[in-house]
Amino acid sequence: MYFDVNGKRIFATTGGKKFDNSLPTVIFLHGSGLDHTFWGLHSRFFAFRKYSVLVPDFPGHTHSEGPPLTSIESMADWLNDAVESLCARDISIVAHSQGCLVALEFASRFKDRVKSVSFVASGLATPVNSALIDAAENNPEAAIAMMVGWGFGSAGHLHQGPVPGNSMVAAGRKIMRSNVPGALAADLKACNAYSNGKTAAAAIDCPVQVILAGKDRMAPRKAGMELVEHLHNPELHIIQESGHMIPQEAPDESRLLLRNFIFSNNPSG
Amino acid sequence: MSDFYEFDTLSLHAGQTVDKEFGARATPIYQTTSYVFPDTDTASSIFNLERGGHAYSRISNPTVGVLEQRIASLEGGSAAVCTASGMAATFCAITAILSQGDHIVASSQMYGGNISLMKNTLPRFGITATFVDPTDIDGFGKAIKDNTKLIYGELIGNPGLDILDLEAIAKIGSQHHIPFMVDATFNTPYLCRPFDFGANITMHSVTKWMGGHGAAIGGVVVDGGNFDWGATDKYPTISEPYAPFQGINLWEEFGPAAFATRIRAEAMRDFGPSMSPMNAFLLLQGIETLSLRMDKHLSNTMKMLDFLQNHKQVSWVSHPSLPSHSSHALAKKYLPKGAGSIVSFGVKGGRDAGKAFIENVELASHLANVGDAKTLIIHPATTTHSRIDAQALVAAGITEDMIRLSVGLEDIKDLQSGFEAGFRAARKFAGE
Ligand SMILES: Cc1ncc(COP(=O)(O)O)c(C=O)c1O
Repeated sequence: MYFDVNGKRIFATTGGKKFDNSLPTVIFLHGSGLDHTFWGLHSRFFAFRKYSVLVPDFPGHTHSEGPPLTSIESMADWLNDAVESLCARDISIVAHSQGCLVALEFASRFKDRVKSVSFVASGLATPVNSALIDAAENNPEAAIAMMVGWGFGSAGHLHQGPVPGNSMVAAGRKIMRSNVPGALAADLKACNAYSNGKTAAAAIDCPVQVILAGKDRMAPRKAGMELVEHLHNPELHIIQESGHMIPQEAPDESRLLLRNFIFSNNPSG
Repeated sequence: MSDFYEFDTLSLHAGQTVDKEFGARATPIYQTTSYVFPDTDTASSIFNLERGGHAYSRISNPTVGVLEQRIASLEGGSAAVCTASGMAATFCAITAILSQGDHIVASSQMYGGNISLMKNTLPRFGITATFVDPTDIDGFGKAIKDNTKLIYGELIGNPGLDILDLEAIAKIGSQHHIPFMVDATFNTPYLCRPFDFGANITMHSVTKWMGGHGAAIGGVVVDGGNFDWGATDKYPTISEPYAPFQGINLWEEFGPAAFATRIRAEAMRDFGPSMSPMNAFLLLQGIETLSLRMDKHLSNTMKMLDFLQNHKQVSWVSHPSLPSHSSHALAKKYLPKGAGSIVSFGVKGGRDAGKAFIENVELASHLANVGDAKTLIIHPATTTHSRIDAQALVAAGITEDMIRLSVGLEDIKDLQSGFEAGFRAARKFAGE
């Protein structure tokens, strides 16, 4: 669906059901350069199990009007504006990578709205190497290749995956190409500049879950464990064989973990 | 591993997860119609497109799935759907986006089956086509009407071997916001990947070079994932709610794989032209050696061109790698490794000489196929293109004396001496 946030036309998929703000909401946040389709193997599942689902394209990504936002803090504010405009309630956030930084800010600052947070493949911060930022600014195709190349583990690189016939690596490239120019660079710079992770993590008091990948080359295990250390009583899972792109590379495992966690911490009628 | 696997590695490994139970190295043949669901929730979520997985082999099958992902990887597409034949692939792709009253702009130089589908069969269902000389780029733009929903052509035209200017036609497609679909059978992803030049959909008759052994019929549609189906209201089958799946909006849910998902959700379910697991297995064996075979096809082709050009009983030889071919420059651009292994030539003495040649040539098989490891020959005017009228024959660039040769992998000396047997028999018609 399209809706308005601060005068801009924003797209979010609702998982194939009409958005109904009387139901608890699951909001899925995508990572740098990606879009709503990244969560396609999770969003529809919740939408057909009595949750209202919202998977927005951040501004400047695929169907949402730009310009891209330039800081993690402004993305959290934007998310709050989006939530407010839809009167969404009882929110479970499910976030991947950069989305996790936004989730840290959102859940620590707008506590009343949030019932649970699931952090997928992230640490407290996401330092980005300067070669990647430089490529994102000056040679987007090279940057896309680095993101997709480092992001996916071996199953992705071998074009395997649970959806018959689909290549997640190729789809990843096409998604990144559908952003407005500069969106990936803006995302990466926002990640690189974000430094409030520790404080934000400590301030979150709802149930939290962390799902890490055993073969993550973008948010290494050490960084993920740092997030775990600073959260209150997180539920921790490690999907050993997956690379960074857990929602695509290990959708069945991650869906089950999210399901169990959200069903118990934010139950729906 | 920020680098991506190269073509030869993908040809061998892409799409296959090594069998967890027994460690089988080859892709197992999952010869099954259906799949046991662990619980009702999993069953309903597979049926409702909430997750991946197999329910029934008409829709998808694990062996076929490996082939699909392998071809998607080689072609650079976001998704692929295999079908029982190349014709089924074309039909499924067209019906996924065109409905009654819609129109196709197609190259006039295509496989007879493609022409017949668009000229005779689809019009019965209200889908019409305008055929354009593939070398007349402006003609493609001029043939577009308000109801045009697809531009279609073969990269290497059949059988005149004119090369389609992919970039120029893709540009016309994008100006009019119409997807450009390429029948890439004759080139395979090893020689050219049409998505790199702006095409949006490809299909292959994998019966041909992809399989290479001539043992299995099969087809594939590959979704380039690079067409914005939601930018206009022209493609409601992709961008509007689809009732059978609780009003799913495929474009919104699946983005770069929306088109392929429509084929699987509709054509495979309602028409059912599925590839068998056994055929998928055979075709996978072929793809493992695609680059090796194509290199040999190409080197044998160059040697046969040399042989035919210097043969006194040959009146003309046509192949895009020859400077005399009108598509030579385009062939160099789009097919730098070589312009495929189909050669057309005329035997001096016309129709009777051609007949005598075909009936007496040794080693080369007289049959209606191309892209086999074995050398094949045929007389198009009386076989593959016999069902199209005289005007279309001329438009397709076919002459009465034309022999179409699909150069195989035999030893070149044996192949050439087999040809000499044919030429000996044709000599009496050559007027010498
Ligand atoms: C260029 C081309 N396209 C499509 C087809 C149809 O493929 P199939 O025979 O696998 O149905 C053929 C078959 O000869 C072909 O040569």
